[in-house]
Amino acid sequence: MNKQFGFYLEPERCLKCWACEIACEQWHGIKAGTVKLRRVVEVSTGTYPDVSRTFLSVTCSQCAKAPCASVCPTGAITKRTDDGIVIVDKERCIGCHHCAEACPFGIPQFGEDGTMQKCDLCLERLKNGQLPICVATCPTQALHFGTLGAMAGLVTAKHAKKTALNARRHKLIS
Amino acid sequence: MAKLMNGKTATKRVQKTQRRLKTLPELPQNPTVRIGQPDFSASPVAPETNKPLTDGIVPTFCHGCGPAKPKCGILCHIKNGRFYRVEGNPDAMNNWGFGCTSLCAKGNTGPQYLYTADRLKYPMKRTGEKGKGVFQRITWDEALDTIANKLKEVKAQYGPEAYAVLSPEAWPVLQTVGRRFLNVYGSPNYLHSALCATPRFAAAKVTIGFNPESPDNWNNSKLIVLWGYNCENSAVNQGNPIAILDAVRNGAKLIDIRPMLDPLGTKADIWLPVRPGTDCALALAILNVIIAEKLYDFEFVANWCYGFDKLAEHVLLHPPEWAEWITGIPAVKIRETARMMAKIKPMFIKTGNGVGDQSVDGTSTIAAISLISAITGNLDVPGGAYGGRVPVGPPLININPISVMAEKAPPDIFNKMIAPESPVWYQKSGNSDRGPTSAYYKALMSILTGKPYPIRVLNVSCSNPLSATRNPRKVAEALKKLEFCFVMDLYWGPHVDYADIVLPACSDYERSDQIELKNKKEGTWIGIYNKISEPFGESRSDWQFYLDLAVRMGYGEDFWQGSTDAMLNEQLAPSGIKLEDLRKSPRGIFVKRAAPSPHLEYKRYASLFKILPHDKVQCYNEFIGGKANADGTGVLPYLPTYLGPPEGLAQTTELAKEYPLILSDVHGYRLCHQSFMNDVAYLRELEPYPWLRINPATAQQYGINNGDWVKVESPHGWSKFQAEYFDGIAPEVLMTRRGWWQSCDELGLPGYSSFNGGSEVNNLYSSEEHKFDKFYSQMAKQTLVKISKIV
Repeated sequence: MNKQFGFYLEPERCLKCWACEIACEQWHGIKAGTVKLRRVVEVSTGTYPDVSRTFLSVTCSQCAKAPCASVCPTGAITKRTDDGIVIVDKERCIGCHHCAEACPFGIPQFGEDGTMQKCDLCLERLKNGQLPICVATCPTQALHFGTLGAMAGLVTAKHAKKTALNARRHKLIS
Repeated sequence: MAKLMNGKTATKRVQKTQRRLKTLPELPQNPTVRIGQPDFSASPVAPETNKPLTDGIVPTFCHGCGPAKPKCGILCHIKNGRFYRVEGNPDAMNNWGFGCTSLCAKGNTGPQYLYTADRLKYPMKRTGEKGKGVFQRITWDEALDTIANKLKEVKAQYGPEAYAVLSPEAWPVLQTVGRRFLNVYGSPNYLHSALCATPRFAAAKVTIGFNPESPDNWNNSKLIVLWGYNCENSAVNQGNPIAILDAVRNGAKLIDIRPMLDPLGTKADIWLPVRPGTDCALALAILNVIIAEKLYDFEFVANWCYGFDKLAEHVLLHPPEWAEWITGIPAVKIRETARMMAKIKPMFIKTGNGVGDQSVDGTSTIAAISLISAITGNLDVPGGAYGGRVPVGPPLININPISVMAEKAPPDIFNKMIAPESPVWYQKSGNSDRGPTSAYYKALMSILTGKPYPIRVLNVSCSNPLSATRNPRKVAEALKKLEFCFVMDLYWGPHVDYADIVLPACSDYERSDQIELKNKKEGTWIGIYNKISEPFGESRSDWQFYLDLAVRMGYGEDFWQGSTDAMLNEQLAPSGIKLEDLRKSPRGIFVKRAAPSPHLEYKRYASLFKILPHDKVQCYNEFIGGKANADGTGVLPYLPTYLGPPEGLAQTTELAKEYPLILSDVHGYRLCHQSFMNDVAYLRELEPYPWLRINPATAQQYGINNGDWVKVESPHGWSKFQAEYFDGIAPEVLMTRRGWWQSCDELGLPGYSSFNGGSEVNNLYSSEEHKFDKFYSQMAKQTLVKISKIV
């Protein structure tokens, strides 16, 4: 495999504004009340007044070893070798839901025609050199997209900054 | 395939509708009776509704923030003549600037919004009883003639002030040609909501000389305080949320003061869940700590504050222990917050609609908060409250603003106001907002009381008075009694039933008669609204309506003889840009700034405080103190004075025995615009029912499960909401959102009544006019309620 594309979400920048979720629906022409290829979820812990709320925007992880592809009896789900995107061939999908059973994240969904649907990283936009619509629309830059290497770089840079800030604060206090 | 599959479904639906429309007989004289929903089945329509344009990508502006806000530039993708995709226009300098393609949730619903079915389609006149919604189709000519004749007749008989117009936010149509029409006609009666922004801005202005809009640069702030500021809901794509998150990433501390733990609050170092409507007590207690512990900026106070000793004496009476039982926040927490606010510099306090605009002591609240910024030395310093707009350099494209022709108005216009929103003396001395403003609710009540005189003709455009102000039952009564009412809107809202003439407005996607210019540090950008579709049915642009009406009134000379293109050309004249070129530009026109941003100056106190008495910050306010109040019933206080909500746990203890919970609502929300957009399926599917956020512990006391319908009863009325368990709210507080009259046909979800038994929160609040804020007529959006499960 040449490269693997993926998303990186910074929950500390997510405001649960739902822009990504609706952008995905409108861009892909998904009818309201049917499937969702991206979803904003909330994890709330604690009780008043010590409450913590964390927001996550979740979609297909394009797994390295995609269980959905492994269990697909018709070979409709494949992982592309050049960019690691897990794609579904609608013509071959028989709507048996095996993939849904196999996916640990509950990603595969089935629309009105019964075939499996999931995020393909806006393949059509990628071909035009554009970011996936969810990333392009995120008002707070909480969602990022790129190769896994580039995403790891973002994480490293963030932690370096945090460490520097803490060091500065520590210095101020002492 | 998903796209194809759904694309096919959508096309089928349109074909079906078009077939149905084509086969309808022509029945121009048939009355259309509506119960609950607009009934278009008997209505003849223009043969081609939503007539497609040519395929491609068209730039225009987003509808999502309603009529008023500075709009985000968007690119609309059109295929097979249909608007099917939307993205942010990277040239329009939205949100974080040039190159940004982001949009909010509402913005992303553009294609769905344009094609929602629930639209007014043709002009109508009322043929049945008011409020019953029985109308007959008429032509535009008949509608315009009827309105013009009525306006002429009323002016001759009662004077021009008998005509009034409801203002939905800062709507550009009304702020320009609407104001111009009022001035040429001679009426002062622009009825402003008195619940959004301007009361807050005015209170800050009379205290510290300016409204602290933002710091010079958010990244310079070390402490950011969001006080009743709801930007992740009301303006998530308008710059501030991302700027705040960036500042936090750079190490700024964040304090969030709001009743609910909202998304930005989850990122805060301190969340103060203040009880709704008690912010003034909290602000006074914070001042108490800062002054008592001598944590203020001695030099600033000595040089630039007037009456500090009187303020100090006054706040001594308001220690944190006093505020604790009012605000519900422990005194120790108030002390901790006050010390942070005094010690971490620079600090910027951002206030929002939640504080100051919708409480009966809003003016005092904002005065007290402004004084916290002032005495801690945070005015006009880097990272503090910058005085005025942060300069970015001169615009590189110049256009003419549309004149409101104030010179045409009668000389005594301020004295004729029906219900001055702020005191007449204040408005007269150059402090009015583009002309005189009256308070929306108070003015509507003149119809019932006849005091000081009744409004006889009311223009209700783009505003639903049954949700935009308090007490919809009383408003409906006024609308019933009103002599003549005309409504121009996109939707058949519940208020439309009370109109004499109904005019269908087209949406922002169906007109091309408004220009937006943005001047930022990257450069200057100009764009025009472009048509994405021909107007729905016989709907027309609001701009065109005003010009057409003016021509019929004989004001053609002042209104470009009815030509919106002439109006646009007049605006564009200094820019050298041709209207046709602007309409053809694929992304608007951007001129890059070559010169660097201007050097900023700070601590410009002599000029910033010049408008204030003694040229100093008004700790003891002689700008408004001792002067006549808005309703002329007395004088305004000199010191920030806590009143608290008309009904509250600490305020009305007897009442609290029967009504033990506090209710309030969010002013803006990210899945709707005011009471609009509940018909948009992508938004409605996320929150389908009128919610009531309730602490699970409280809900369990009443045997209410998550998702149960709850009867919420205040001393003023009752409404029903669906319980939503929410941990980030105090056990004694309930929060909801207003305006659920729209149904969503695509999802089969109903709309709810604005009256008792419906789901309108305004039905529950106090509307006693003598209790409104005496400076800017703010009304309370807090009350006490009792709740029970609906079985």
